[in-house]
Formats: sequence, structure tokens, C-alpha cells
Amino acid sequence: MIAHVAETGEDRGRVVLQFTSAHPSPIALEAAVRIARAFGSEIETLFVEDEQLYDCAAYGFVREVSLTGRQRRVMSAAGMKRDLHLAAQGARRQIEALARRAEVPLRSRVVRDEPLRALSVACAERGPWNVVALAEPFTGNGMLLRQLLVEISGTTGLVMVGPKAQRVAGPPVAVVEDTQRLPDMLRTAERLAALDGTQIVLLLVASDEERLHAMDGEARLVVEGREDVRIKAAAATHGAAAVIAEALRRLQGGFVICQFGGLLVPDEGDLRPLAAVLECPLLVVR
Amino acid sequence: MFFKRPQHDSTPVVTGGQVTTVAARPQPLEAAELRRVVNPGTLGFKTTDELHPITGLIGQDRALKAIQFGANIKSHDFNIFVLGPPASGKTTAVKAHLGPKAAEAPTPTDWAYVYNFDDPNRPRALQLPHGRARMLAKGMVAALDELRSVLPALFESEDYQVRRRAIDEQFRSGQEEAFEGLNAKAQSQNIAILRTPTGFTMAPMHEGKVVKPEVFNALPEGMRKDVEAKIEGLQKELETILERMPKADKKRRGQLSELNEEVSRRAVQEALNDLIASFSDVPQALDFLRAAGFDLIRNVGLFLMTGEEENAIVKQPVDTARDARFRRYMVNVMVASGDGTSAGAPVVEEINPTYGNIIGRVEHIAQMGTLVTDFLLIKPGALHRANGGYLLLDARKLLLSPFAWEALKRAIKARSIRIEQPTEMSGLISTQSLDPEPIPLDVRVVLLGDRELYYLLSAYDPDFSSLFKVQADFDDTIARSSENDQAYARVIASIVKEHGLKPVDAGGVARVIDEGARLADDREKLSIEIGRIADIVREADYWSDQAKRKITTRADVARAIEEQIQRADRLRDRAQETIARGVVLVDTEGAQVGQINGLSVLQLGSFAFARPSRITARVRLGSGRVTDIEREAKLGGPLHSKGVMILWGFLAGRYALDVPLAMAATLVFEQSYGGVEGDSASSAELYALLSALSEIPIKQSLAVTGSVNQRGEVQAIGGVNEKIEGFFDVCRARGLNEQQGVLIPKSNVQHLMLREDVVEAVRHSQFAIYPVGTIDEGIEILTGVKAGERDSGARFAAGTINRLVEDKLKSFAERARAFAKSAGNGSVIPKDEP
Repeated sequence: MIAHVAETGEDRGRVVLQFTSAHPSPIALEAAVRIARAFGSEIETLFVEDEQLYDCAAYGFVREVSLTGRQRRVMSAAGMKRDLHLAAQGARRQIEALARRAEVPLRSRVVRDEPLRALSVACAERGPWNVVALAEPFTGNGMLLRQLLVEISGTTGLVMVGPKAQRVAGPPVAVVEDTQRLPDMLRTAERLAALDGTQIVLLLVASDEERLHAMDGEARLVVEGREDVRIKAAAATHGAAAVIAEALRRLQGGFVICQFGGLLVPDEGDLRPLAAVLECPLLVVR
Repeated sequence: MFFKRPQHDSTPVVTGGQVTTVAARPQPLEAAELRRVVNPGTLGFKTTDELHPITGLIGQDRALKAIQFGANIKSHDFNIFVLGPPASGKTTAVKAHLGPKAAEAPTPTDWAYVYNFDDPNRPRALQLPHGRARMLAKGMVAALDELRSVLPALFESEDYQVRRRAIDEQFRSGQEEAFEGLNAKAQSQNIAILRTPTGFTMAPMHEGKVVKPEVFNALPEGMRKDVEAKIEGLQKELETILERMPKADKKRRGQLSELNEEVSRRAVQEALNDLIASFSDVPQALDFLRAAGFDLIRNVGLFLMTGEEENAIVKQPVDTARDARFRRYMVNVMVASGDGTSAGAPVVEEINPTYGNIIGRVEHIAQMGTLVTDFLLIKPGALHRANGGYLLLDARKLLLSPFAWEALKRAIKARSIRIEQPTEMSGLISTQSLDPEPIPLDVRVVLLGDRELYYLLSAYDPDFSSLFKVQADFDDTIARSSENDQAYARVIASIVKEHGLKPVDAGGVARVIDEGARLADDREKLSIEIGRIADIVREADYWSDQAKRKITTRADVARAIEEQIQRADRLRDRAQETIARGVVLVDTEGAQVGQINGLSVLQLGSFAFARPSRITARVRLGSGRVTDIEREAKLGGPLHSKGVMILWGFLAGRYALDVPLAMAATLVFEQSYGGVEGDSASSAELYALLSALSEIPIKQSLAVTGSVNQRGEVQAIGGVNEKIEGFFDVCRARGLNEQQGVLIPKSNVQHLMLREDVVEAVRHSQFAIYPVGTIDEGIEILTGVKAGERDSGARFAAGTINRLVEDKLKSFAERARAFAKSAGNGSVIPKDEP
């Protein structure tokens, strides 16, 4: 599948930025804005009030433990409503400021639902050319990623950032594991590179050197000596994800584009090593 | 009425009464006595090319000795005040004198300011052997350059990354394990852990979903209690995990810091090793290098971010010395003596002695709308540059500069240079800024100014005398002698050389020397206002060019002097014109009672000229008062008033020893609308008064200058040449009639350096200059009537001026007595009007 987002006015998709009750990552918000700019798309923020939190608040004996673990307080539906409202307001203010500066159209809404279902419904409403962006840092829960990509049908990709994300500027790095998909990934990378006029890095990844050599030849045929594209290779012979993650860190990319179910982002694999070293946003293409 | 020349005049002046004519009186001066000129033939050279230019000054032994003394004495408060007229070559002379002495003195140490790692607001002053400050500064830049390339590579290395990941992983796995453990435990007990906007919460769960409260409440109480207990236990565990996180993170950060320090320490030591070895003999520098080393290790992160990130505005690679990240490791060299070769002590002249230029300043730069500063923005002042040597300052400019004088005195007293903001010093504004460590000061300050300034400072500033104990007094003039004429010629040769002029021939030099005497206002002296002399020589060179001559001649010098006068004499011409057109009334022939021509000098910049003024006197019966109308109208200065009062003393002492001086007199400078100051007209006023009392007319073909004392002696005055020339010009404009002349004090004869045209007129008996020693001599020339002396009966001879005056005063006294008797008030002398 190709990574694509519908342009503003097409009414067939947008960047769906999901906020939850956790604090959003500023880099994640910037990443969402950059994707929208790159594709001339709009952003729709979706603040999901997890309805289970209201259920929790209805229990008289349940307490909320603060993030420092030093305070405990009684919960109530009203208190929860207020807290979620404030969190949604804060999130909206942050993304509004960024969108205004980037001149990206923005719509916001708040829904009370189960988070995954809320996203699925939102993407189904206008699709299929959506990209989902997660505001909450991704800690490496492979199961969650799988759920997102499998259960949400109206999306072409997923943008997320790790806890150590620190930049969005820099060359986009397309992690190519299948040269069949190279042209599509290259087009996506070109759109991102056009934002800053940067180079594009194609990081060829294979499990053995022989395959890597073959891919290198194929990639060069596609690129045809373009000066704005650099080709790098990483042989993921041992501990694939960790090795590729280290290569990405050294490339100092501004965005990583990769496929789901490959060596970098395996289906149902442990993504914690990747999430731990990732310093820029990751666009996972289905 | 026409008067013959006085020396031939024996005709009595008849005014209605019997008078006695003058038999013998002072003779006019010969032409040769009016101007002392140098004979070019006696100078012994053809042009100045043959002369060795003279360095320094001539005839200033006293001042030069004082400078030598001040320069040699080892005491901070024996600073020097060089006093003398402007453009007298003081600065050149002081430099010429101090230069060789400074060259032999030891070169002072270098000074630099460096970052104070313990107290950033108080930059440290670093004293270094001369020539080493720049070495240290360059060394630091080189070390930082090295670290910029070495440290990122070290921190990118596989070795470092593996160790860092291990620490991160250890922390993360600890946290995750704890969370995952808690999560698994909760799931096994059918408890859900959820994230809220401000923390975590838990609830009973069934099939991965939170159980609805109404469902839960329908459960048996025992089951509910069991769930509640489980949640309570899990919450406590969660609290423990969360509380542990900061400690674990702190430990992680500590381990990372240790790793970073370990990796960076070796690189930093390697980079600084050479510098530390080079400065092992300078403990202060070693302290700085060690402190910088520790700081570099602690702040290794500075090298791991790119310069572009830190200097985003620039958008291009920044060299280390300009990189904002590394400013605190730089060395701000305040004073450096170059490459370390012996250069001697500095002789610094600060031509713009503002506070900042003397003491130094802490500059600021605008950053994001605010003003910021650091130790690299400390700029040295003249005191820093002159430290260990000599500092030359113009006293007038210094005093005109706000805060500068006080700051200089404070630095000299404290023997240290402390840089403060002037606003802080005045206590007006107190903002947080830098407080650099003071730098010890060992400097000899040489102030250059005029005498007035020196005496004002001595009188009004008690600190001045205690800090400037050496007075180097430059003479305005030197005595005229053949040796000094030769020396003067060498000064001219040095001016020629310094300014790259054409040589001046002996005639031209002689003319410059003549002008030197004229500038000195004394034919026995030569002015040493080198600036003015140089102006004449340079201008003569210009006129020589215009005449296409290869040598500057006497004619060129004369042209230069004439042109200078012509450029400045618009007002003189205007004054002459008003007299010529009869707007200002000045008689140059005939005779008048109680009226005389006085002479006053106007100084306009460097040009002075004289203007004749009519002075009149009127007398009548009164209470014994001479009314100086100038004073009454507040146009007369104190010296002028004093002169008028002296007249009164003379009249009383000579004519009214035993009778009341029952006279009222008025004296005035006619058509004078500005102020009158000085007593040089007091003899003229007395002559006018005597004429009014005796009713003997004064010859208007003569003008008078000179002050008088109570004994009737005529005393020297200033500007005698200009005064004679002023009257001469008026007479010449109307036609010289061989009767005209000027009476001058005898003691002023030595000052005569009259214009050549005046001398020529005297030579041809068209004009006369009379030297006068006493009022009696003067009145005889002015009236042609004998002054008269007291005989054995203490009476003046009949028909003499003095007799006529005495008789008039006695008659006034008698009439006053009669008036008093008739009025019956017992007062001998009637009260005079105010």
C-alpha cells in the first residue's frame, strides 16, 4: 500500500491526530503538521475521552495516584470531566499554534469513547486517504501498533514518535526493505524533503549482504544518479531492529518512513529498542 | 590749530591765562628702537637644509627638569602637571623626553580578563609575563578547536554508545519491569490500570474492559471487598514504583555523568596539556586552566551540539573564537606587549579622555531585545594601556568629560583600575552587571593644560595638589640672543622636516624670528608657541609654491603673516571705517580741554587689534568723588575701576594735602558700548582730568596708553604694539601730518616690535612714539605746557599745569566752604549726587 493523505478539499482523508489523556509530545504534534504540509492536507484532532475513566471515577473506593506517586485523591465524574476538558483544551491550544504558523487547516473535536474505536470511526467517516498521528509518545508496544494498523482500515499510515524524539528537521530517511515499494516510499520522502529542501536518504535494509547488494543495484536504477538522494545500506544480520535503529540515529534524519511487518517494524514484534533510540518521527506505512 | 612735531615745539599754548612753555621734555624714539630685526647675514646659513633639526624644546630647562624629576621619582602621587600656553609644543616635548626613558624601562606585564568559574559576575584579572597573554588566548582557542573535533567523535564512538545504552537500558528495564510486573499482576487479578490526565487509576476489569459500576455493585459484598482490597494493594505498589522513579533516574543521570566525564576527561587533559606546561611558571594562569578544564569536563554537552543550533542566526559554521558556546573559555587580552621582545614602558596619549576611554568599560550587546554582557566585552582604557608607563592627558578635555576626573583620581589614589559603570558610580541606577577584579595600577599621569587651569585646580580641588605634586611650567617665551636665534632657526628646520616643506632661506628664517618676537609682545623675547610658528612656516611654504619658488623666502613669510592678519581683520577694518566715516568720534588733530585719545585692545581669537577711543573728563564743585561712568553703568571691570580710584589717590596726594578735595569729576570712554577692563587707560584718564582742571587743552594728534600709580609714575601695559598700530592706522587713513604719535610707558619700550610700515613712518618723521616715565612728562607733551614742580615754598610755579590744577582745587574748596556756611549745615563739603 502506498503512503498518501488526501489534500484539503478532497474530503477523502486528512491527518487524524489522536490525543489521549496522556501528555502529548511536541515533536509528535510537529510531525503531524509536517505531514499535513507535505501532502497539502488538513488536520483533524481527535481528543478521546476514554469512557472507562468515567467508569473508574464512579467507584467510590478507587483513587487516582499522581505521576510522582506521592499523592492520592478521590475521583469523581465531575473531576474527571474537568481534568479531561482541561487536557483537551491544552492540547488544542498547542496544535492550533503550530497549525496557524504552518498555515495548515485544522479542525478539532472531542469524543468520549474507547480510544481505538474512536480512531476507527473517525477514519471510516472520511477515507481512505487518512494518516493517523499519535500525540502520545510510543513506548514500543508492538501489539498496540498492530491493533492500530489492522483494526483501522481507513488509513494509509501511522505517524508516531518515541519518548526521546527531539527533531523533525533533517533529511527524510526511507527504510527500504522491499525495492518494489521503493518508488512509493521515494515519493513520500520527496514530499517531506521539499519542505526544507533537504536531501533524501534511502536506507536499504536486508538480512544478508547478498540481498543488500542486489537491492542496492535496483535502488540505483530507480534513483538514476539523482544528487538529492543518498543511498545507505544496513545489513541487519544480528538483532535487526536494534542495528537499524542505530543506523537511523547516526543518519540524523528528520523523518523515518518504513513499512509495517518488516525488519524495522515487525508485526507483533518488540518495538521497545526502536522506540528507545528514535530521535525523529516514524511514518509506518501499512 | 596745527602742532609742530613736539621736539621742535617751543610755542606756548595759550588758553586765556599765563602759562609756562616746556623747555625740554622726553624725546620721541628713534626708528631703530621700534623693532628689533634679525640680520639674515648673521645667521650663518643659506637655507634650513644646512641646519640640524632640533628635537624637543628650547629654553625650557625648568620644565624639562621637572618632567625628569616626575618621571624618575618612585611614588604614585608625584604625577606631573605640565602647564603652559596652547600650541607651545608641550606634548611633543613631553613625549620626546619620556620616550627614551620609557624605552629603557622594563616592559610591564600583560593583563587579561578570564571567566570566573566560581563567581561569573566577577571576572578574574590575570597577570601574565609580557607577551604571554596572547599566547594564552590563542592556546585556549586551539585547545577548544581540538576538542570540537575530538569530543563529538569520542561520544559517537561505538565504545561510548554501548556503555551509554547499557546505562539507559538498565534504568528502562528496571522501570519497565516494575510496571510490567504490576500490570501483569493487575491483569491476573482482573484489575485495569488506566492513565488519567494527572496520574493513574485502577478499576475492576472483565475481558479487558473496565466493569461498569452498576454491574460491580450487583456483586456479592465479599467479592466487592476482595476487589477493593486488591486495588488498594496494587495502588500502594504503584505508588512505590512511581516514587522510586526519580531516584532511579537520578542514579541513571549520575552514571551517565560519570561516563561522560570519564570519556571527556582524557580528551580535555590532552587538549590542555601543552598550555599547562607552557604556563607552569604562572600560578594564576594554571589556576584558570585547571578551572577551565574542570568546567569543560562538566559541560562536555557544549561540544555535542552543533554550532548551527547554538548560533542559528548566523546559519554558517562559526569559528571557535566567535562561537557563543565557548565564550567562557576565551581569554580577553586587555594589555599585551606583542611578541614578548622587550618593548619598554608604554607612553600613551589619550586624545579623547572620556570616562570609558580612561578607565575602560563593560560593553553590552543587544540580544533578543535585552542588553547582555560578559567578561569578553570588558574593554581596556588608557590606564590599562599605560600601566607600568606614562599616560598623557589633556587636562581641559579631562575635566569636561563627565566622571572622568574623579575616576582618574580614584584610580591613582587606590593604585588600581576598577571598571565601574558611570551610572553605578553615581549611584543612579544599579543593574546587575559585571564587577571585574581591579587591576593594580602603576602609572605616571602627565596632565597638560594651561596655567589658569592649574591654579584653579590647586585652589578648588584638594586632591589635586596631593596627587599632582610635580609642576612642569613651560615658558611662553625665551630670551632673545644670538644663540637662541640659532636655536630658533633649528626649530624652523625641524618644522620643515616634520611637515616635508621646502627649505626656508636665511631671510625667511629671520622674518619668522622677528614674528616670534612680535608674538611674544617683547622684542627681547621670542615666542615659543611652536604651533603658531609652524602655521606661519607652512603657510609661507604654500605662498612659495604659488610663486613657483623652490625655497621659501622672506617675502613668502611676510605674505603668510599678512594673509593671516587679513583673514582675521574684518572687525578691525570695520572699526577703522567707523572712525574714518565719523561715526565714532576720534580727533587726530587740534586740541581739546578734558578730552584725550585712549587706546584699547580687542582680542579676537589669536588676532588682536587696537581701537582708539575718546576719553573725556568733566569737573565741578563736589564732595570729592571721581565718577567712573563705565563702572556706574556696570561696563567697567574691576581693574579699570581700580585704575580710576588710583587717580583719586594721585590728585589728593599731590594737590589737596591740606584742603578738602571738593571736586566732583566724571570720566567716560565715549561711544564705548561694551565692557572696559584693565588699567592701561588710567594715565589717559588722569591727563584728561588734569586738562579739565587746568583748562589747558590736550593735543588730539596724540594718543596715550599706560597705567599710573598714586605717585604719578606711568607703568607698563600690555598690547603696546597693537595700540600704537591702531592709532597709526587711523592717522594714516586721515593723512599723517608729522604731529601725530602715541605716548607709551617708558618701561614698554623694550616690548616694541612694531609693524614695518609704522617704523618707516617714524623713520621719515611722519609719526612719533614718546616714552613717558611720569604724568608730568606726559602732560607736558600733550599740552606743551610745563608741568611744574613745587618750589621751596611748596608752591608750584605759576603758569604750570600743576599750579593751575592746584589753584582750581583750592578754589573748589573755598567755594565749598562758603556754600556750607551759607547753607548753615556745618558741613564743609556739600553732599555729592549719587
